[in-house]
Amino acid sequence: MSVSQPVSEIEVEITINSRRRRDRVPSRLLLSDYIRDTVGLTGTHLGCEHGYCGACTVMVDGDAVRSCLMLTVQADGAEIRTVEDLAPAGSDALSPMQQAFHDNHALQCGFCTAGFLMTLESVDPADYRHPQQVVELLSGNLCRCTGYQNIVTAVAQAWSDSTQAQ
Amino acid sequence: MKPAPFEYCRPSSVSEAVDALAAAESGRVLAGGQSLIPAMNFRLTDVSVLVDIRDVAGLDRVTVEPGGVTVGAAATQSRVLADDGAAAVVPGLRVALRHVGHLQIRNRGTVCGSIAHADPAAELPALAVAVDATISVEGPDGGRNIAARDFLLGPFWTALDDAEVVTEVCFPAAPEGAVTVVDEISRRAGDFAVTGLVAIIEPVDAVVRSARLVGFGVGGAPMRLTEAEAALSGWAGHHTDSAVLEAAAADAADAFEDIHATAEYRREVLGALVVRAARKALNSGASP
Ligand SMILES: Cc1cc2nc3c(=O)[nH]c(=O)nc-3n(C[C@H](O)[C@H](O)[C@H](O)COP(=O)(O)OP(=O)(O)OC[C@H]3O[C@@H](n4cnc5c(N)ncnc54)[C@H](O)[C@@H]3O)c2cc1C
Ligand code: FES
Ligand code: FES
Repeated sequence: MSVSQPVSEIEVEITINSRRRRDRVPSRLLLSDYIRDTVGLTGTHLGCEHGYCGACTVMVDGDAVRSCLMLTVQADGAEIRTVEDLAPAGSDALSPMQQAFHDNHALQCGFCTAGFLMTLESVDPADYRHPQQVVELLSGNLCRCTGYQNIVTAVAQAWSDSTQAQ
Repeated sequence: MKPAPFEYCRPSSVSEAVDALAAAESGRVLAGGQSLIPAMNFRLTDVSVLVDIRDVAGLDRVTVEPGGVTVGAAATQSRVLADDGAAAVVPGLRVALRHVGHLQIRNRGTVCGSIAHADPAAELPALAVAVDATISVEGPDGGRNIAARDFLLGPFWTALDDAEVVTEVCFPAAPEGAVTVVDEISRRAGDFAVTGLVAIIEPVDAVVRSARLVGFGVGGAPMRLTEAEAALSGWAGHHTDSAVLEAAAADAADAFEDIHATAEYRREVLGALVVRAARKALNSGASP
């Protein structure tokens, strides 16, 4: 929908983790701050707020994006998924990828983890059959404490389980 | 790390976008936001009105024809990277885009936005110069088409006037049989290049017949390497590299120096990239 006159505040309609919301937000509100402060979903972390670390990665209409490099108004009408949406609702179970991270010690402090998980959730494993492709896929997410080896191992486990299950 | 207050609009036509820019004190086009928003988060850029072009009808179009590929201003880098038809006509689009940022950046960033942004270390402006792309813009006085080499004037500096919008960029098809190489040295995969090269090389019978070479991350704007092009003409893999290296160093006599590398280093890297590209082209010519 077009916004023909310049405005400093605007009403947006956003679906986040399957719940539709309407909020009046300042034009300058970053999507990352909307998710954390307005909606209250603090699983999305902010490391750098200028596009480098990937901690803030969420899915917008199916694509992984940096929520710190997007304005909330740009997500007007979009469907957003955050890390809170990954585990099956109403149980203590984790999603297969979360479980694989847990099993393989693919996190220490966990600050970067939500970003990795959302990047992985956004792609089709069939497009990343070669380990080098997985490494490239994850190059947009920085982890400062685990080292990447266990993360790549976790991805291999989760995705090989998923192909076996098919 | 939050942008200072500004006003936002999302027009539905190019002429409305131009009007909004013309009326603003300091208006800016917002495309993918992958360069503009970090600059605003850092408060490096003063913006009073952001003009989001996402909803302008038709701007997300990518048109593939035998003569070239035309990319609209709202078409994302991911969309173009995935387009097999575009890659067949202008292989440079795919090979260049593989070096641009990461998946998450390309999902939002646009091809035209990268050219309008004119980062001296960016791949797409260099590709645009290498293939003689044409940039179409609309402004208060109507439209005009600008050759890439006349559009890119210096670091973050283009021929765009304040109220002008890039509507599309047309990349002409690569010559039949040419090999396009985009190669660079960067500190990490996905980072901007310290120094890089776009090479379009026509190999015939294991000899370079002609070469179009454009360096990036060497000068303020993409740098055509005319001496190295001449040195490569007639070059074969068994020839020594020294004439080519010297020619590339002469082309890059004005290479800049910064925290990442000295000018000397950039000249050496550029020469090495030229030789590497030529060998690659000759090898792929031998076994198509
Ligand atoms: C972590 C990270 C890594 C990156 N790595 C690379 C890399 O390796 N190589 C690379 O080339 N780029 C890289 N980028 C930049 C990325 O490619 C940007 O997407 C691109 O430079 C700008 O495109 P955009 O659509 O996001 O433009 P925006 O950020 O929206 O705009 C950038 C500038 O161009 C102007 N502009 C945009 N579109 C138009 C238009 N249609 N008409 C007039 N003006 C316009 C804007 O007003 C603004 O001044 C990286 C970015 C990040 C955050
Ligand atoms: S917080 Fe968004 S990329 Fe670092
Ligand atoms: S687990 Fe600590 S930064 Fe990745």
